[in-house]
Amino acid sequence: MRKKGFANRAWILLYLLPLALLFGAFFIFPLMFNVYTSLMKWKGGGEMSWNNFSNYGKLLGDDTFLLSMKNNLIWALSQGFIQIPLAMIVALILARNPKGWKLMRTVYFLPNVISTVAIAKVWVALYNPQYGAINGLLGFFGIPGKNWLGNTDTALPAIIAMTVIYIGYFMIIILASIMNIPKELYEAAEIDGATTLQQELRITIPMIRGTLATSITLAMAYGMRHFETTYLMTGGGPAYSTSTMGIALFLKMDALRYGEASAAGIILIAMGSLVIVAIRRAIGKADPMTEAAQ
Amino acid sequence: MNMSKTRRLGFIAVLFLFAIPFFAAAQGSEIVLKWPCIWVGKDSKAPAIGEIVAAFNAANAGKIRVEVEPQPDYNAYEQKVRTAIMAGIAPGDIFTLKLNASTQDFYTSKLLLDFTNDFTGEWRKSFDAGAVSQSTIKGKLKTLPFETAVLPLWYNGDLLKKAGVAKVPATMDELWAAMDKLKAAGIYPSSQMSGDTNAWTSMIWFSWMAASLGGPDVWEKPFTDKAFVESAKMMKRIFENYTTPDAIGAGAGVSGGHFLAGRTAIFSNGPWYAGRADLRATSFFPSIVIAPLPPAGSYKNIIISRLQANIAAAASPDKARHDAIISFLKYLTNKDNITKLAQTSGAMFAVNSGYVPTDAFQKQFYDMAEKGYETATDLEAALGAEATLEFTQQLSALALGKIAPEQFCALVEKKIDR
Repeated sequence: MRKKGFANRAWILLYLLPLALLFGAFFIFPLMFNVYTSLMKWKGGGEMSWNNFSNYGKLLGDDTFLLSMKNNLIWALSQGFIQIPLAMIVALILARNPKGWKLMRTVYFLPNVISTVAIAKVWVALYNPQYGAINGLLGFFGIPGKNWLGNTDTALPAIIAMTVIYIGYFMIIILASIMNIPKELYEAAEIDGATTLQQELRITIPMIRGTLATSITLAMAYGMRHFETTYLMTGGGPAYSTSTMGIALFLKMDALRYGEASAAGIILIAMGSLVIVAIRRAIGKADPMTEAAQ
Repeated sequence: MNMSKTRRLGFIAVLFLFAIPFFAAAQGSEIVLKWPCIWVGKDSKAPAIGEIVAAFNAANAGKIRVEVEPQPDYNAYEQKVRTAIMAGIAPGDIFTLKLNASTQDFYTSKLLLDFTNDFTGEWRKSFDAGAVSQSTIKGKLKTLPFETAVLPLWYNGDLLKKAGVAKVPATMDELWAAMDKLKAAGIYPSSQMSGDTNAWTSMIWFSWMAASLGGPDVWEKPFTDKAFVESAKMMKRIFENYTTPDAIGAGAGVSGGHFLAGRTAIFSNGPWYAGRADLRATSFFPSIVIAPLPPAGSYKNIIISRLQANIAAAASPDKARHDAIISFLKYLTNKDNITKLAQTSGAMFAVNSGYVPTDAFQKQFYDMAEKGYETATDLEAALGAEATLEFTQQLSALALGKIAPEQFCALVEKKIDR
């Protein structure tokens, strides 16, 4: 018996070994190397030299990097608390099977299969102050247009606004969760005279709390590592107003400041981890759907 | 037992099949040189480069073959080069890079081939001595100067005429007056930009102003020097009054696009832009005049020029590969091929090929380069990537009135690695 137990554990370890090796090679080792290079002065071409924690000091004393950190928090909060509620509202509506719901489900999801580069370029054209459709539409109503991406006050909100409306991915996840709620609960509620809104607030939302918590966590994680759309649309400008830590890291690499880029990466990981842990603690992990099934 | 023997024979056969390529490689077969190259696709040098590589391959069939790996995105290519060197691998057997205050650090890498011993005799004599000197860092020549550029202002003569501007401005007062007239005629006076990583066209304008105010060695002065502050004031005035509404945050495509579409009258770029088919197809092409920016300061005889592209190669312990690289580079930089490149692309090169352009527009660049001006380099070449990026980002803030010119200069100074 003891031999069989040992053999089983050995096979389990053997099956997990390839994944563990890959995880080690493509995550653990790069992370450790990153920590190491974050303590070095390194311009990429020549040798590294020990730099203590100077890279961290330089970044945390740099107003533009602090602005990037602030922007990352804004991204995380907007993704988690604007995009997810929007996705939830649309999922709640589609779950009621209105006319054309299948078509709308596809339409909402479509942007997720289109390249981020293509979407970013389209929006750059839409936001163009002279020829863009947005200023054109505003002009139609007599509202003066703006250089949306060329103004430090409007650039970040403009990019966030065009990102949070792409709710398709989370909408599908939330919709699937809603579809799994037992119909009997709604029937019972109807018999008791509950309105649609009351059903959504008292049954649906509590029952999908686990899914919402996971979606918010994922959305905030995406927000913390946000890079591509902003880089494509503004490059982090104007005047660093849209810069994120990912962009700051990338620009440090452009400037051959690899030690500082590594330090920026470590700060990003640390900050992201803190945000995710805080969110999980605040929202909680209990999933009433699992409890109901049991 | 037979099955086991069959399996063993099969295994040996498979091993043998896999081993053949390695044996073949070891037996002195064709040396393949990989060249990740930006001069492809729509680039003005693409046709000539294609012909040159094909001719070299034909002449060295079976011995050396150069394989061009298309890299049409210039920014992505520069990142590829940086990332590869940082990771300890050469981006290719042959590659190009812009030599500036930041990329000079690549000379400390053991990945780059040192041309010092090979770049001798007639080959060395065929190159511009000044360009070779600029490419020599602490006695080492790890890149060869290849493409050079003067960076003048371009004037759309048709639009100037339309606005009643009789001639290309020769003084700053004439420039301001010309831009006022253009504006009054409903024409955007200049293409500007504060986007991408180097605010290219605006960076060139700034460089002209700074060099005229501070002299050819202006980049050695602190960025808080009066020359830079005055230049910043002028740039702020231009952004506020004399450019398109989308200039702030705009990239090179927007800035160039306005000029190509005939919306702006004054632009700035290098000679490689002259070979663009879309430029030559414009109705105003014959009217384009290039000229220095009118002197903004007391240095009146300065032009902005730079090493636009240097060629580097991967160091190799294999003598045959090393010799193959040298052989190709000698072929690439011979006078006939440089002439072909210059003729078809409009670009200028660090090789003294004796080429005299017959194309009137291209001739303007060559005439300017040979006019005996004193040369100064531009901001990006002088100060490197980080300072240029700070310049770009803060240029938006300056143009928006968020910071004063003195503050702008102080912020850029902080990022200069001295």
